[in-house]
Amino acid sequence: MEIKFVPTTCPYCGVGCGLNLVVRDGELVGVEPWKRTPVNEGKLCPKGLSCWEFVHDENRLTNPLIKKDGAFVKATWDEALDLVASRLKTIHEANGQNSVAFQVSCRTTNEECYEMQKLARVGFKTNYVDNCARICHGPSVAGLSLSFGSGAATNGFADALNADCIFMIGSNALEAHPLAARRIIQAKEKGAHLIVCDPRYSMTAKQADTYVRYKPSSQIALLNSMMYWIIAQDLHDRDFIANRTKGFEDLKATVQKYADVKARTGVPTELVKEVARKYATAKNAVIIYCLGITEQTTGTHNVMSLGNLAMLTGNIGRPGVGVNPLRGQNNVQGACDMGAYPNMYSGYQKCEVPQNREKMEKAWGVEGLPAEYGLTLTEQIDACGDEIKAMVIMGENPMMSFPDSNHVRRQLEKLDFLVMLDIFPTETTKLADIVLPGACFAEKDGTFTSGERRVQRIRKAVNPPGEAKADSEILTDLAHKLGLDGFEFTSVEDVFDDMRKVTPSYAGISYERLEQPEALIWPCPTVEHPGTPILHTERFALPDGLGHFFGIEDRLPAELPDAEYPFELMTGRVLFHYHTGTMTRRSPTLDREVPTGYVEISVEDAKEHGIQQGDRVRLRSRRGEAETLARVTSDMPKGVLYMSFHFSEGPANMLTNTALDPMSKMPELKYCAVALEKAALEKA
Amino acid sequence: MVKVGDMFYAQAADIAIQQKGECGGAVTATLKYLLENKVVEGVLAMKRGADIYDGVPTLITDPARITELSGSLHCAPVIQSNVLFKYLYGAQDMKLAVVGVGCDALAMQVQIRKEALSANNLVRIGLNCGGTFPPMQAQEMIQKFYETDPMDVVKCEIVKGNFIIETKDHERKEFKIDDLEEQGYGRRANCRRCEEKIPRTMDLAFGNWGVIGPDAGKAAFVEVCSTAGAQLLEDAVKAGALRTKDPTPKGVEVRANIEKKMLKLGVKWQARDFLSGKEREEFWLEQFAKCIKCGGCWKACPVCTCDDCKLESREPRWVESGMLPSPKPQYTRAAHMAADCVDCGQCEDACPVEIPLSSFFHQSTKNTAKLLARFDEITASRQRTSI
Repeated sequence: MEIKFVPTTCPYCGVGCGLNLVVRDGELVGVEPWKRTPVNEGKLCPKGLSCWEFVHDENRLTNPLIKKDGAFVKATWDEALDLVASRLKTIHEANGQNSVAFQVSCRTTNEECYEMQKLARVGFKTNYVDNCARICHGPSVAGLSLSFGSGAATNGFADALNADCIFMIGSNALEAHPLAARRIIQAKEKGAHLIVCDPRYSMTAKQADTYVRYKPSSQIALLNSMMYWIIAQDLHDRDFIANRTKGFEDLKATVQKYADVKARTGVPTELVKEVARKYATAKNAVIIYCLGITEQTTGTHNVMSLGNLAMLTGNIGRPGVGVNPLRGQNNVQGACDMGAYPNMYSGYQKCEVPQNREKMEKAWGVEGLPAEYGLTLTEQIDACGDEIKAMVIMGENPMMSFPDSNHVRRQLEKLDFLVMLDIFPTETTKLADIVLPGACFAEKDGTFTSGERRVQRIRKAVNPPGEAKADSEILTDLAHKLGLDGFEFTSVEDVFDDMRKVTPSYAGISYERLEQPEALIWPCPTVEHPGTPILHTERFALPDGLGHFFGIEDRLPAELPDAEYPFELMTGRVLFHYHTGTMTRRSPTLDREVPTGYVEISVEDAKEHGIQQGDRVRLRSRRGEAETLARVTSDMPKGVLYMSFHFSEGPANMLTNTALDPMSKMPELKYCAVALEKAALEKA
Repeated sequence: MVKVGDMFYAQAADIAIQQKGECGGAVTATLKYLLENKVVEGVLAMKRGADIYDGVPTLITDPARITELSGSLHCAPVIQSNVLFKYLYGAQDMKLAVVGVGCDALAMQVQIRKEALSANNLVRIGLNCGGTFPPMQAQEMIQKFYETDPMDVVKCEIVKGNFIIETKDHERKEFKIDDLEEQGYGRRANCRRCEEKIPRTMDLAFGNWGVIGPDAGKAAFVEVCSTAGAQLLEDAVKAGALRTKDPTPKGVEVRANIEKKMLKLGVKWQARDFLSGKEREEFWLEQFAKCIKCGGCWKACPVCTCDDCKLESREPRWVESGMLPSPKPQYTRAAHMAADCVDCGQCEDACPVEIPLSSFFHQSTKNTAKLLARFDEITASRQRTSI
């Protein structure tokens, strides 16, 4: 008998917890704490503890599949990849530069993200490559880049321990990012004041010293009002504003109109004042936010408003302060860092800058890299059948995770050719022409970059099932079939080294250096550099070195409740599941906890509609409908419903709105108008 | 003839092992003897992982690899009983030697009683333990109090109530553990309350307490705790793997005093940590409001050995699923464990929301144990009356 402990990184959220996979005779048998990891010190959430359970699931994809006469037939790798290469080539030659589009999952490794965007750019000369950060923290990347010059979290998770006040908004970290929430709980127990703003009295809100319930999608009004009162009470940091920022007058003029926002936000002025005072007078105050801020048509503006708030009080650039988005996926930071982005190469080097294109052309040995801003994730879906004729999707499940699932299906069906790389059959692989079986996190080497910019190793513990192999190997093989140069990789370390050669912020990071459990936090420009846990300490990352204020006006969501669709619907995660559920719903432990979805309804609304706990209810929006079970709770305000999006039998994204944030192309996943009614006992 | 209760100074006969192993390499030599002579098929013990703050439970079957195992890592709170039970089928199919400290030893006792672990297939090697430090907090402590880069530390030890570090440049620094603990650092909470410093439920208990004079640092003190242990020691000496001699009377006394002092300290910490009455109830209800039911505590628990875990069972659902927060999982667990908690602290280490769980279960076990003892008294007195 042989057992070994393999230290690696959790495959779920963006906190990047370390854990030990336990392997017995070549098979995973458990997860054990890795107490040496600085991120979580061995502590894990229910998802992390059970992350091994889906790995040997009998439904794993084990062979390349080619669809013939509407049914999938097993194929060899050569057959499948030859077909992929020749079809993509033919379609590309016949339909032009941007006829093949690429979607990258933030669940994959840095190496895989880098390799896929390189394949798109080198092989097809297209910028039509995007990752699913688009539908989680795209507005953070866009907004924080405008305000501070860098789209990443400014401070790490444990740095919350240095804060005297923690201002959380649109984040239910205790459920969605439990090990980041741990740092907040530790800080609170040390004496920090915890403010949680959320329309729902969430698990996290229940830990707060001050809880602020605001009406869904009224953040800008709330934040502007806080800033009004900070300025009115002379609590702003004049030195910081004078020395390190510009645009203050614009902000000041804008927030003048927001003294009283009770009608819009539902928050009494006295409470706004109190919260403003708490935040502004704390020696060190940190802002922590999540998708409650970003997944709206005002997403980028919401983020920039948080940037305003932090700069107004000088809470940037030292321990215990900052603006920190909690990233949703294990490698959502990395996918963006790697340039799986329609307008940027790795390290946020913009494609529109001629010098950057020249540099990449030289490094990659190609010519004619495009300058244009490629189509984003959901824009690509919209362009299926028109400009886009073929798509390569690595590890995404758009049928479940993108808004308006009916629309997604109609669009994907218009493609001439759809290639999917995945570990499980999903709602979307059904629509594919070719499905290529990938290796999961436990079956490959590589790196993930967590939400605090920490680049950490994952390590192969077991072999992939059947013929399945790591996406990076698949991409390398495909590149060879396409006859491309620059893919002479024999290991993921080769890919990483190829990447860091062209990526200044990763240049100093090597696999060797990543062997220490602390790993490294980018920017890390040289091999001697210790990494950079806190951003913007001396200057902001914008060309003028200053932080930029923006006067931002409140704006209503794209679709408001009316007589026909009277409820506001918010969506989110539950603690025990992750995204489209392809992994967590196959985990017996997690499935036992939450076997199916539900909608949270206020006690008042339930009473009005004659709905009891556990009743089957139907939700309808202008786009579709979904049936699920009612969970009646005093945690919800009247008129608002909350539903998770993990469950295909009651899919929230049948309801959600495709309306986009104009600045980041983020769909309004967190807000739409719906109708609610009791459904028949059995599903029709 | 070696007998239970005998005490010796022991060291490896092999010079290389003597020099590489800690305190004369007695434990390493014993393990090597066991493997080489096929007394066991494998040895389960701790190996150093990334550095001295990282302990990895490791199963070694090749005697040539025995030196990969580490000596004591004071900043790596790892136990083996859980690994034995969860991943090695409770040693049902394989003869194993296992190396562990007091709480680990007690956990194995519970597992054996529950028939989750095969005593017949086990050789249990105990190590004295004055307590372990949380690996990440220990590094912070070394930075803060010792003003040393934790990466420069090559060795830690506990001597006479002091926590001593040794750097790669052979510099030694020490602080009183008491002082460190008063300032919120030091040993894990459960270790402070510990009452099992010398693991006498193992077959042999090794340690460096009481090795004084010229032997200090060159030999280990071993106490024979079982007949199997006596046999093993005798055989290992006969086979030329170990060398033993009688300890000095002063050494025996020193060791006894260290143990006594530490046990007293454990009781002191229990008094500090344990709450009573209304205060206790309120404190824990407040704590459990943070629980996210990750299951980390019961998965890490070495005495939680049920196949059909009541907290995870579907039929019947003893604990409602998906409803948070709830204090029910923890109270259910406390009732279910009855008097079995060994205060190993693994639950608390695993807790993602900073609930000081070990104190809850430790106290609840102590209370139950008192109740059970009282029960025995009552039934015994009835018997007397009926006679």
